[in-house]
Amino acid sequence: MMSKLGRGQKDKVQQFMAITGASEKVALQALKGSEWHLEGAFDIFYSQPQIRAFTDTRHLEELFKRYKDPDVDMVFVEGISLLCNDLQVDPQDIVMLVLSWHMKAATMCEFSRQEFIGGLQSLGVDSIPKLREKLPSLRNELRDEHKFHEIYNFAFSWAREKGQKSLALDTALGMWRLLFSEKHWPLVEHWCQFLQVRHNKAISRDTWSQLLEFVKNIDPQLSNYDEEGAWPYLIDEFVEYLTENGIVPTRK
Amino acid sequence: MIFVYGFGECEKMAMHERKVIELDQGWDFMQKGITKLKNLLEVKPGETQFSSEDYMMLYTTIYNMCTQKPPHDYSQQLYEKYREAFVEYIDDMVLPALREKHHEYMLKELQKRWQNHKVMVRWLSRFFYYLDRYFIARRSLPGLNEVGLTCFRDRVYQEMKSMVKDAVLSLIDQEREGEQIDRALLKNILDIFVEIGLGSMECYENDFEEYLLKETAAYYSRKASIWILEDSCPDYMLKAEECLKREKDRVGHYLHSSSENKLLEKVQHELLSVYANQLLEKEHSGCHVLLRDDKTEDLSRMFRLFSKINRGLDPVSQMFKEHVTSEGMALVKQAEDAASNKKEEKRDIMGVQEQVFVRKIIELHDKYLNYVVECFQNHTLFHKALKEAFEVFCNKGVAGSSSAELLATFCDNILKKGGSEKLSDEAIEETLEKVVKLLAYISDKDLFAEFYRKKLARRLLFDKSANDDHERSILTKLKQQCGGQFTSKMEGMVTDLTLARENQTQFEEYLTSNSQANPGIDLTVTVLTTGFWPSYKSFDLNLPSEMVKCVEVFKEFYQTKTKHRKLTWIYSLGTCNINGKFDSKTIEMIVTTYQAAALLLFNASERLSYAEVMTQLNLTDDDVIRLLHSLSCAKYKILVKEPNTKTISPNDVFTFNNKFTDRMRRIKIPLPPVDEKKKVVEDVDKDRRYAIDASIVRIMKSRKVLGHQQLVMECVEQLGRMFKPDFKAIKKRIEDLITRDYLERDKENPNLYRYLA
Repeated sequence: MMSKLGRGQKDKVQQFMAITGASEKVALQALKGSEWHLEGAFDIFYSQPQIRAFTDTRHLEELFKRYKDPDVDMVFVEGISLLCNDLQVDPQDIVMLVLSWHMKAATMCEFSRQEFIGGLQSLGVDSIPKLREKLPSLRNELRDEHKFHEIYNFAFSWAREKGQKSLALDTALGMWRLLFSEKHWPLVEHWCQFLQVRHNKAISRDTWSQLLEFVKNIDPQLSNYDEEGAWPYLIDEFVEYLTENGIVPTRK
Repeated sequence: MIFVYGFGECEKMAMHERKVIELDQGWDFMQKGITKLKNLLEVKPGETQFSSEDYMMLYTTIYNMCTQKPPHDYSQQLYEKYREAFVEYIDDMVLPALREKHHEYMLKELQKRWQNHKVMVRWLSRFFYYLDRYFIARRSLPGLNEVGLTCFRDRVYQEMKSMVKDAVLSLIDQEREGEQIDRALLKNILDIFVEIGLGSMECYENDFEEYLLKETAAYYSRKASIWILEDSCPDYMLKAEECLKREKDRVGHYLHSSSENKLLEKVQHELLSVYANQLLEKEHSGCHVLLRDDKTEDLSRMFRLFSKINRGLDPVSQMFKEHVTSEGMALVKQAEDAASNKKEEKRDIMGVQEQVFVRKIIELHDKYLNYVVECFQNHTLFHKALKEAFEVFCNKGVAGSSSAELLATFCDNILKKGGSEKLSDEAIEETLEKVVKLLAYISDKDLFAEFYRKKLARRLLFDKSANDDHERSILTKLKQQCGGQFTSKMEGMVTDLTLARENQTQFEEYLTSNSQANPGIDLTVTVLTTGFWPSYKSFDLNLPSEMVKCVEVFKEFYQTKTKHRKLTWIYSLGTCNINGKFDSKTIEMIVTTYQAAALLLFNASERLSYAEVMTQLNLTDDDVIRLLHSLSCAKYKILVKEPNTKTISPNDVFTFNNKFTDRMRRIKIPLPPVDEKKKVVEDVDKDRRYAIDASIVRIMKSRKVLGHQQLVMECVEQLGRMFKPDFKAIKKRIEDLITRDYLERDKENPNLYRYLA
């Protein structure tokens, strides 16, 4: 393989391998991807973990075959149940959301071939034991503020019914409970209750994403909440609800 | 003249050889003249007036002494001696005379002395005039006049000014306390303060005015502290106004005009600013009480007084606003109470009470607008206060009816037949004018428009409008106040009706010329333009065949006029005159098309069940119940219902009542209108959503990126002329537009919206 390369290129491959400890194949991939700039190749290498770990495509294909629907090239609920079983996790476990996020899954309870194989590849795993080993680190990703933000916003589109702009309330409540049990937002139960009593309609993406901003920025006593602000009206009404019901102290 | 002549003489003499005049010699001569002048001033008996010769001699002496060749040019010495002459006179005569007098006598002496001094300056400066012309001018020295006056200032004024000031102030104090004083004397004395400044006001201001102002402030501060306790607010104001007037007169009589503002400011401050709140809020006579008791004269005075002090009108206008608000709220309460005393079932129908309420509000407005104009001189603050007060209670509504509805109903009652026939045209016009004025205070103008249109439609379609001119006149008024967009639909409705009348004439002509087409029933069709009129349900009522024929004939006729218009028939708005052949007599019945269709069913069947009526007419339960009730349970029982109860139930059966009779040959069987209030409110609500959407998009399209609060503000501003959009509603619309991808939140700042083109 190296023989096709020029002398300078060979040097760079050697250098790259020496520094990163990566295989020749990975080094070549990274360097080609950056048009033979070493710096660029490092960037690629460190920002795209999938190329660091070598995954065997054949193994992945076999895994996919194990879970996919017999008639369609997709993994459906049954496949996912089996996968959870193999991984020994509850399908309701939030780690499955993180996994779906890595797979860039378009819809809940479904993986396309591309999503499944691409996702595992990017995680650098090609077997169930490897994936199971990976789960704690996936779980840990939720602690990262930035990643949580991405996973949270991903969850909206993922959980939404196909063709709908908004997220059905029940699904939204489930997702919130799941996500905020991780994030420990003390008002989550009040929020869910409020929505059921006062709203009882689907949730828009704006409300969904602004709620995280609210959780992140407004303290549970609401002392820094500004009613003149651009909070979605549902959040305004939630604040009223909290005050009315004496859950938070009355504001001046 | 004498000066010029004399001067000429001197020039002539100078041309000849002349004997030199020594200083002592010349001055001796001058001294004589000066002594004569002093004697004249002191009014010594036996002293004669200066003759022109005397004067000539004195002048010439000075001239000669100043025009001699050096060292005999005595100009410098004479200039000094000129001053010394004054000093000597002042020290010998003036000061001793002043020093032995006091108070007013001293002032009189000073007055005299100053007059004399001025005379002396005038004369002496004439004698020494030649100095002024050459010596002084060349050396830029103070002129003779100035030297003379400066002497008085430096020696007399400086010594006396403080005593003089005290004496003057004491006299002013006496005058303030009601005594007569010698105003002319004061005027002359104060003129000294002005004149002695030789063109500058410094002496007057520093040596007198400053003390006057201090003294005045102290005086009125004392007075005010007593009056405020003893007097009622009106009495106090009377005194204050009188004091201000007197102080103003004082300036006119003897103070310098530049003192006027400063003086009045002091007085106003002490009498008004200091005690403003205490005065205005006096428990039994303050501003509130004056408003309550309609003390317009006192209120006018209050305005005059407080308009002069800085921000003085703020509390007055605030109290005015509070008063008007509470009066208005009392009317609201009154109307509420009256409404809740009314019988439960009649509550929905707008009654006399509400009519009375609007009348009272109009009266209230008349009354207080008059206050603003008369007592408060049209001041903007008071117009604003009136507006704000009316906005409070005009937007309250009474007993479940919004004020927008109340006003629309009020207009309807005036404009419909039998509503205001007793009123003259002028009175009607005036009332309409006032209602429209009130509308300015209503924030839900769109709701008014919708109710108004509903009622206008009823008036026009059921021929209930009393007078076309009044209809058009109020539209003109509304247009002026709310803009063309506001009335365009209403105007369209009125025009529609005129066109419909022409159309009807053409239809009748058509029938005459096409006798085979004539359905044998008189038919009047009112063709309306869809957009102008309120939306009506157009259900497919199964028309009786007779009427179907009518519809067909009209359609044919209309086709001949235009091909491109679609006719939608709204039977719910139709009326019919049908003859009922009862056993005793035939009675003409005026009914709605629905009622007629129901009655005509009984031509074919003796007995019909509720369900049969409903299927044959193809109407909803609501409509069937309503119209069967009107025919079998109300005043005229054209149908007999089994069982004979007061309400309609789906198991009822109906038969034609042959026995029915009435003493009239013609009766009108009313069909109570469905309550449209809810629908109107819903329609308006929907329109508002569109209006807010449109406004937000309009703003964002031009601004591209905008903060939340600014967007809300601009939106409220744009829509404020029609209604006051609720902040929550705006927020909902913004969120809806985000969902529909017209807007997005800025990634970094969620308070910022971006327009997505």
